[in-house]
This record gives sequence, structure tokens and C-alpha cells, in this order.
Amino acid sequence: MKPRRQFLADLGMGFTGLSLGSMLFRDGVARAAAPDGQPQFAPRAKSVIWIFLSGGYSHIETFDPKPALTKYGGMTFDKTPFENPLNSPKHHARFRSVAAEEVNVRNVYPTIYPMQVGFAKRGQCGVEITDWWPHLAGCVDDIAFVRNMWTTDNDHFAENQIHTGRHRLDEQQPSLGAWVHYGLGTMNENLPKFVVLGGPTRSDTRLSLDSLYLGPQHAGVPLAIDPKSPLPFGVRDARQSEAGQRDEYELIGRLNQLAAVEYPADADLRARIRSYELAFRMQASVPEALDFKPESEDVQKLYGLDNDATRVAGQRLLASRRLIERGVRFVQVYPSAYGTWDSHQKLQEKHAQMCAGVDKPVAGLLHDLKQRGLLEETVVVFCTEFGRTPGLELRNGGKDGRDHHPHGFTVWFAGAGIKPGIVHGETDELGYHALGDGHYVTDMHATVLRLLGLDGRRLEIPGRKRLDVDHGRSIDAILA
Amino acid sequence: MPLRRTWIVGILSFVLHARGEDAVDYLRDVKPIFAARCYACHGALKQKAGLRLDTGEFIRRGAKDGPIIESELMRRITSSDTDERMPVEGEPLKPEQIRMIEAWLRTGAQSPAGEKPEPDPREHWAFKPPVRAEISGFGSRVSGSTNPKPNPIDSLIDGDLTPQPLADKPALLRRVSLDLIGLPPTRDELRAFLADDAPDAYDRAVDRLLHDPRHGERWARHWMDVWRYSDWYGRRLVPDVWNSAPQVWRWRDWIVRSLNAGKGYDRMVTEMLAADEIAPGDDESRVATGYLVRNWYALNPNQWMRDNVEHTAKAFLGLTFNCAHCHDHKYDPITQQDYFHLRAFFEPIYVRQDRVPGEADPGAYQDYDYSKLRKIVRTGMVSVFDKDAAAKTWFYTGGDERNRQTDRPPAQPAPPAFLGGEVRVEPVKLPLSVSFPGAKPFAREDETRAAEKAIANARAQLKTAEVALAAANEKFSVTLDESAAQDAELAMRLAQAALVAARAKRDSLKARVAADDVKFLGKPGDLAAVAKTAGESERALALAVAKVAAIEAERAVRAAKPDEKKKADAELANATKALAKAEDDAKKPATDYTPLSPTYPHESTGRRLALARWIASRKNPLTARVAVNHIWMRHFHTPLVASVYDFGRNGSPPTHPELLDWLAVEFMENGWSMKHLHRLIVTSAAYQRASMSPGRMEAEVVRDSMLHLAGKLDARMGGQELETAAMPGSNRRSLYFACYPEGGGSGEFTGVFDAPDPNDCYRRTQSIVPQQALALTNSKFVHDCSEAIARRLTGEGAEFITVAFEHLLTRPPKREETDACLAFLTKQPDPGRARESLIRALFNHHEFVTVR
Repeated sequence: MKPRRQFLADLGMGFTGLSLGSMLFRDGVARAAAPDGQPQFAPRAKSVIWIFLSGGYSHIETFDPKPALTKYGGMTFDKTPFENPLNSPKHHARFRSVAAEEVNVRNVYPTIYPMQVGFAKRGQCGVEITDWWPHLAGCVDDIAFVRNMWTTDNDHFAENQIHTGRHRLDEQQPSLGAWVHYGLGTMNENLPKFVVLGGPTRSDTRLSLDSLYLGPQHAGVPLAIDPKSPLPFGVRDARQSEAGQRDEYELIGRLNQLAAVEYPADADLRARIRSYELAFRMQASVPEALDFKPESEDVQKLYGLDNDATRVAGQRLLASRRLIERGVRFVQVYPSAYGTWDSHQKLQEKHAQMCAGVDKPVAGLLHDLKQRGLLEETVVVFCTEFGRTPGLELRNGGKDGRDHHPHGFTVWFAGAGIKPGIVHGETDELGYHALGDGHYVTDMHATVLRLLGLDGRRLEIPGRKRLDVDHGRSIDAILA
Repeated sequence: MPLRRTWIVGILSFVLHARGEDAVDYLRDVKPIFAARCYACHGALKQKAGLRLDTGEFIRRGAKDGPIIESELMRRITSSDTDERMPVEGEPLKPEQIRMIEAWLRTGAQSPAGEKPEPDPREHWAFKPPVRAEISGFGSRVSGSTNPKPNPIDSLIDGDLTPQPLADKPALLRRVSLDLIGLPPTRDELRAFLADDAPDAYDRAVDRLLHDPRHGERWARHWMDVWRYSDWYGRRLVPDVWNSAPQVWRWRDWIVRSLNAGKGYDRMVTEMLAADEIAPGDDESRVATGYLVRNWYALNPNQWMRDNVEHTAKAFLGLTFNCAHCHDHKYDPITQQDYFHLRAFFEPIYVRQDRVPGEADPGAYQDYDYSKLRKIVRTGMVSVFDKDAAAKTWFYTGGDERNRQTDRPPAQPAPPAFLGGEVRVEPVKLPLSVSFPGAKPFAREDETRAAEKAIANARAQLKTAEVALAAANEKFSVTLDESAAQDAELAMRLAQAALVAARAKRDSLKARVAADDVKFLGKPGDLAAVAKTAGESERALALAVAKVAAIEAERAVRAAKPDEKKKADAELANATKALAKAEDDAKKPATDYTPLSPTYPHESTGRRLALARWIASRKNPLTARVAVNHIWMRHFHTPLVASVYDFGRNGSPPTHPELLDWLAVEFMENGWSMKHLHRLIVTSAAYQRASMSPGRMEAEVVRDSMLHLAGKLDARMGGQELETAAMPGSNRRSLYFACYPEGGGSGEFTGVFDAPDPNDCYRRTQSIVPQQALALTNSKFVHDCSEAIARRLTGEGAEFITVAFEHLLTRPPKREETDACLAFLTKQPDPGRARESLIRALFNHHEFVTVR
């Protein structure tokens, strides 16, 4: 015969998503199966800044220049000396349309569209990137470019996919940030562990920060760059004075403490008491973290805050640095709005403008992190949902753009645990297919988790079997 | 190979030595590896290559091609060739696991005698019919003495528990109110309950709550979780309807109505899957198929089918059929072929839209076209129907519908063999009101009324235009303002044309109805002749409408500002061209016309009805157990079977198998009555105990309770979903706000309290996060509610504190609590604000959001 309280505790504890990770781990409340908030092996990085450019930047016009396209521009693929990429079995193997075959409008584009910008070797490492990155060109010796990425969706759900690892038609999975949140304890209890800045701006891209079955406490917390109202319900009601609120919090604490005397075994109650302590401090800490006043003019300029074209991206990236500096684990930052890199038409004009908006702020971030020593403990990821077609998009009479291209694209990593100044992997000469096995998007997840000292397979929770593809394999070639 | 083996053995002896152990223990070290990685294909479920690995004896016996312990087993688990290596799926075995197996083989592959093989999967507890246990004395063994009414639940649950006292009356009333209607008792309700000394006071309170219409709302939200209720989404901000449908809220209202009416669970399940087949022509029930409409995905019908299969199996059967989409199930005897057999029940379906009385005609359902946005249609209702009786269910491999095996015969509808049960699929004849809804009297009456009203309006407008023209002409004689007079003249012509068009519309309607009578209702008449008349009336109408458009375009040109001139001119040219075409058309003879509504098949395949009858059958071992478990969990905050949507072999065993079975049988024998089950549960001693496993209020209950206690809750029921953005300014119950799995799909306030994920909410999560504290201290909502309550409640000082505790927490304060609150009130400079602040502190009390 079990004591009743024990029996009920056993029944009740299983699912109640007690959060506040580290606190509860410290209190020994959570069950053995849950992560203990500590890395599973020696970590190389403490935190992550995940920069996502929405809409799909052209790998060709950014970090994977392809002179062959210029050379054979206007020809069809079968007229070049290279193997026709349209005939590759990789098409079927790697790609799946969300829309049923009968309504999928995206087709292959056979006519080669020349490169729309020049390129040159940069840095000591001599990596070739395009001329639209004058500031980032000075940082390439800190960067590891991965040029053989691929994904499986040819439409913008791929934005969720790069964050969750799953195609729209598959069972959905929590986002990378949520897994990090789930796996690692906090380094600053007064701030959320997983912060989202500048996005996602669309209702159907919320999955990118979602935690699904891990529980909502592990989801990304979107913060606004507005010290007056940075997080939902983060500001005292005008009807209440500061002293009045402090007293109210004290009363809440007192009453809950009295209840704790009556229910000494109630772990939820203890968690709630702690949640009020955290909330009270969070209300002050979040605005402080997002207030740029203490930053020198030089720093503000470094991020391009003095220029209309770069201000928005600059603010979000500067905020990212301030947040990880204060112990936030995972910052998912969208320097540009939803879909803005999507260049079906007028690629040259659009990309030139979009690159100019983020080039300086991103370079500024890398410089700033480096000079503060933060780059040694932070991994910076720069990515987009897919590349763009080497062929000219012909839909709607198109003449100057590229369509979505899941078969090959480029992302880059920099910072803690990353080999600096290298290029890993390649696409074919026409920039079409990622060569070899290439890397599916979850390889990026595995890489990030590995740097943080986590193994995705060991984070799995009972009853929620994940597939191998969800875990990916870390891109060891870029690890220092 | 020999070299390699020596090496392995060398390491192994080191490992064993280091562990201070002499030998590998089969049961401890080896069997768990086989169980975890090999049994799915080489155990009781399957015996690939004739091999079983679930006992030592089987292993020593080997595969059909020969023994494996000599070398084959090691060769397979260590092979670097992925086609050869076992296990086929997942990571290879870890080196230490391989070493363990190798050591066991090397030491003779010993295993204890009498080792039992895995039981036959078909013998799994949940696949056998529930049997009602005999209960001696039909009373409680332990706490029966404390419960005035002996209850069989107590007999079945008390065995492993020490007895506990019952909760006091206030705690009990709060618990049962929150449970049954999703709202706490007010102070007045508490007082009345405390004053009721009758022995059956609690029973009557339970009856009152079960008959409260808010009970249906409360439990509808629970079932909406399980049945994945979702309002339309896809690209809600565009807007572009991809998933579910804008009229799906009628299904939600059907759930509320059905629960309040005490409809049996079996009937509800049947209507959700096949209302159009079990009750053809009953529109009130037909909206229940919103259950299937909810899964609709415009871009990919295959996905629709996948969701229908997965969630029908999970919600009603507690089976993870989705695991058999790509391969045979790893734990349950569900083959990949079974998956497609289940899918075949749904294969013929499609979505239709129908008008409802008093609302505009929603028109035919919009088919998917990539280049067109899918409009939000807010009128009428949606449901499913069998569109294509000949639709084939093709088997495909790898979970990818591009790999259809069209050389195999298509799958026929059939339930999985291991659950037994026959289905008889019999086509269902549909009444005319279903195959041709335009025949419904209300449709004709509504149209006629609208047409007559339009004529009356047009007449009134013409009168106004005439008066205005007269006035303008009079004024012209004074001002000589020709332009104003011309405007009035044009307005007059427009009003005349509009009246002609309104009359043409009525005439055309009459002609179409007359043609419908002959064509569909079997009235005598020459179909060709009435169709011709109707067709020509439609052309006359089109012409009249084109004339109106041309005059409007003319007016737009006159009114256009210089920068709009070009556009207006172009539109006038278009309108003139369209008018010319309409004039031409009107001269040609017509042969056909547009009936008053789309037409649909006269027959439904009966597939879904057969499936529904098989699921909602007393013979089905799973259905009642799964439902009872969901209901139990929502009363006790913890289920009897933890894996609420997986009752298969990989799921959790029931904590109280006898109880689960007893309740399942009781449920079925009482007409699958949920109210009967609720009453049985909440009147048990187990439920009424002082220390119940606590739960947290769901998001909706937090908000609704605050509104309720503030005296603001709006009692209106039902209707189109409200936008979550409007939540802060609305007092409607939370279940009426939009709920969909995208940003904006939950309210800002309710979102922090674990609002449901409409894609997967068989069980709600309950988190405790600082954002909840911020919402309960800073939101305008909590401040408004606190203000309203502080104003309503009477008394000063300690009296006020007592009243406030009773109102918000359904109990008087303890002395220390009164002291703390008094000290707080005294300290505050503004007594009014202090009272509000105290109310808010009680909203923030852990006890407020907790159900004990």
C-alpha cells in the first residue's frame, strides 16, 4: 500500500510541465528522464546567434559565385559541357512539393541566367564572395562557409523547415531554439533563454520558434526593440504605482508562502512562487537589455544605427549581442522582414538593396563580438531557407529573377568552435545540386547542438520518437 | 575476422573486469538490447527470415536458413554494409552493446530455462474486450463509510490507497464547478451551498451543474482538444484559406449542443464521421462532419487523407495508425496495407458548402487553383460528402504518394484484422434536398424574399432620384448649373436601370425555379421549354445588370479626379463592350439555365458509416476505453492510461485496469452517456477526497473565471469565431475565439496559459512560466476585472478580506492570511487602489489558477 500522497504525486507529476528549467533541476523536482540543464559533454559554445534571412537569398549572388553561369548565360543546361542537372536523380530524392503534383506550379527552368554581380577572392583564406558584401568581406577569415546545403521544400514553408527540420507534409517537430531551451539551463534567470527578434512576422511561420510537445515554456519569446514595451505584459498598468506593485508582489509572495506551509509537497506551488520572483525581475531586466543608451556612438555606428538603410538590422543585431552578453542562450534574429529576399523578379535590384541593409550590421556584430571576446563563446549562424535557381524564372513572363531552389544553397557559421576562414562543400559548376551527400538542414542543428555540448538523440522524450533525419549529423569539417 | 574477434574479446574482458563482474548476464545485459532494437521484426509481431530473438531458445534455434549464433548474428550487427547491417533502421548498435552480445555468444549463449516468449500481440490487453469486474457489495472497501452514497469506482480504486477524509464543502463546490462548467462558484453560490444541510445537497449541485448550458461549453472545449478543432488557417493574414473552413465553427456549436442534449458518445462519433450518411438531409447534424473538414488542406488532398486516418485512429481508437504510413507498425499488428484499408473509408470524400436559412448563398465550394486566393466564405455551412464513389486508394511506399503502386489492386475499405469485426458497406440513398439543395423551400423563399426586397429598394431609390432630379432642375432655373442637373439626370437613369435589373432578377428566379420544378422535382412540363425560358431570363438579367454597370461607369468618369480619369475611361470602355456582348447574347436563343444550387450525387458509398458503426460499437475493444480515459483525466488531472492516444503495445499500461474496464462497460451499457459517467465520477469518494492531485486551470478557464467573478461574462452562446485580437475588449467565453495553429491562433492572454495547439492536443500541457505572472499582474484585463470586483464587493478591512477570499478562492481566509492582507491594506496610501490590488493578489494566488 502506497501512501496516498506519493501515489497522487506519481500520477500527477508526469505531465505537468514544470518549467523554469534550471531552477527545478536545482530543486530536484524534475524526473530523471528530463535533461538536467547541463551540457551532456564538454561544450565549445555557450550561446547562439542564429541570423535568418527570410525569402531565400541567392547562393549564386552571395557566397557561392558561379562564373559558368555568366559564361553560358542564355543557353539551356543541355548545351553546356556539364552534366544536365535537371536529369540528376537528386531531384526526386531530395525534393518534395507541398502542393500536390497537379497543382504544383514550380517547374525547372532550363535557361541559364547569368550572375548579376561581380565577385573576388577575399581575406587571407581567399574565399570568393560577391561584391555586394564590402563589410563582410573583411570578416571572411572568421567564417566557415557551407556551400552544399539542401532542403526538400520548394516553397516558403522551408522557412519553418530550416528551424524545425521537417517538411510541411511531415509530422511537425519543435524548433532548434526550443531544443536548446529544453536541453540547457539558464545563465540568467531574469531573461528568457530563447529570444526572437524581428520576426517571424507571418502567422504561418510561427513554427520557427515553436516548442510544440516540449511545452510552451520552451518556445521562443519574441521581444520588441522598444524599451517601453519589449515583451507582452511586460509593463506595469498606468493605474498602479511602482511602490504599489512592489507591495502587491510582496503580498502575492506572502500568500503563496502561507499556502506552501499547507502544501509542503506541492512542486507546482514552489515553481509558481519562483515564477513571480523571476517575473518581477524580468520586468526590469528585459528593457535594460534592449536599451541602447549605454552603447557608445562608435558601437552604434559599427552596427549601422546611424543610417536609415541599416538601422533596423543594426538594432536587432546589437540587441542580440546585448542579450547573449547577459546570458541568453539562443537568439533567433530576423534582420529583414518576411520574404524580403524573395527575388522572382528584379533580382539584381532587390539583392543589392537587401545585402546593403545587412552587410554592415552583420560585419559589425562579428567585429563587436570579437573585440569583446564573446566570439569565443558564441556561435553565429547566418542562413536562409533555400537558394535560388541557376535558371531564369520564366513564370509570368519573368526576365530578371530566379525562383526558389532547394537543391543547393549556402549558409555560414562563425565563432566558438568553428574553423575560421574555410569553405566546406560545393555545388556543381552551375550552382544547381549540392555535391556529394551535402547537408540537409538538420545537420546545422546537430552542429549547433554539438557546439553547445548536446546530442539531440539524448534529448528525445519518451513517446515522441524522432527520426534519424530530425537529428542530422554535425558538420564536423567546420569544427575547430 | 579471427583477429578482430580476439581484439573484441580483449576489450570485453577488460570491461568485465573493470566492472568487477565475471560474466554477461543474458537477462540483464543482452535481452534488453534485442528487445529495444530487434523484436519489432524478430519477435512475436513479426518473424522476418523466420527468426525470433525474444528468447534464448529462439536465438539458438536460428533463422529459416540456418543457425545464427555461430557467426551470422555477429556478422550482421557489425557489418559496415548498410544493406547487410542489422538493425536495418536507426543507428548501428553501440560498440559496448556489440561487445556484450559477442561475450554472451562466446560464453555459450546461455539463457535461463522457462523463459517466456513475447506474448502474441493480439493478446494485448487493449485489444481484448473490456470485461466488467465483479464488485462485492457494490460499495467502497475503505472510504465507503465516508461517502454517503456507495460508488463502484471507490471499490475499484481504494485497494492500494490509504483512506482520506473528504474535502470540505467549499473546496468540493469549487472543484466540481470548475470541472463541470469551467467556472468557479460565486460567493452567493457558495453561501447557498453551505446553507443547504440536506444530505443530497451535493448531488443536487451536481445535477444543477450538469444541466447548466455552460456544461456543454466546458466539455466541448475538452473534446475540441481531442478532436483537433481548428478554425480556418493557412494564410490568415493574406487572407487565403488553406486549412479547415471559415464555417467550421458550426461544428463547434454542434458539439456544445450535443453535449448539453446528452447525445451519446457513440452517436457523436458516428455523426462526426458520417452524419451525411446516417442522417441524410439533417443539416443540424451534418455540420458534425466538420471533424473531417477541419483536416482539409487545399494544397494537397493526400495530406487531408493522412490527417483523417491518423486522427480518427488516435482520437477514437487510441491507435497510432500513422506509424504504418511508411512501413508496418513496429509495435502493433497494423500492416502498411491496413493503413490504406483504413484510408479507403475516406477516399471518396470532398467538401461542400450549403446555404442555411436567413443567410446569403455561399455558392459552390471553391476548388483549388494556385493562382487564386481562396476566399473567406462566411455564410452557409460546410460538410463532407462522397463526391467520387469510384475513387481508388492506391498503396504507396515510403510515405511518399508519388510512389503509387498502380499495378497493385487498390485498397478496399476494411478495419484492421486484429481487432476483428465485420463491416458491411452499403450505399446510402440521399434525398433530393441533399443531391439538389436548391429544392429546399427555404432556399426558394429566401431568394424570392431577397428579390422582392431588392425591387422595393430599387423603387424607393428611384423615387429619391426623381425628387432629386426635380429639385436639381428647379435649382438649374436659378443657378444655371448644368453639371448638377446632369448628375441628377444620370442618377435617375441609374435608378431606373437598377429597378429594371431588380425585376429581371425576380423574373429570372421565377423562371429558374419553374425549370427546377420540372428538372428535379418531377413536376409535369416540357423541360426543354422551361430550360429555354429560364436561360433566356438569365440573359435578360445579365443584360439589365450590364446596363447598370455601364451607367455606373459613366458616372465614375464624370466624378473622376484628373488622376483617376484614365482608369475610369478604360473601365467605361470595358463596360460598354460588356454591354454590347450582353445585348448580343440576349438575342440568341438559350438551351440551358443555372439551377438554384449545385447538384450532388444521389447516393453515398456508405463507407464512412460502416467505419463509424465499427468504431462506435460495443464490440470494439478500444473505443469506450479511450473515451473513458479522456473523461477520467479531465476530472482527476491524470489519466488511467498515460499515453492517451496510444493504447497499443508501445503505450502505457493502465494504472487501474479493472477500473478502466468497469467504466468502459458501464459507459457502453448506459447509452454511452457522458453525463452518466460524469455523475458517477464526481459522486465517488475518490473524487471528493480532500487531497486530490491538483491541476491547473486551462487557459480558457483562467480568463472565463475572471470575467465571471467580475460579473462580466457574456452568456451568449455560439456563432462565428471571434478574432483573438478582439479578446481584450470582449466578454464572450474563450471557446468562441479563433483557435488555429498559427500566429494569432490564440489570444495574447490565453496564449501564456498553454492555449491548445489545435494540431496536437490530446492532452493539454500545463506550464508555469514568468509570463503568466506578468499577464496576471500587468494586463489591462486583470486590472479591469480587479477594479470591477473591488467595486462590487462590500465591507471594509477584515470583512472585505473575507468577502474577497470567498468570492475569488471559494473559502474564507485563514488568520495569517487576514493579517497579511490587513497589513497590506493599511500600508497603501490609496484605499480604493489597495482594494483592487488585493483582489489582483488573489487572482495571482497559486490557489486561484489551481484546481484542488
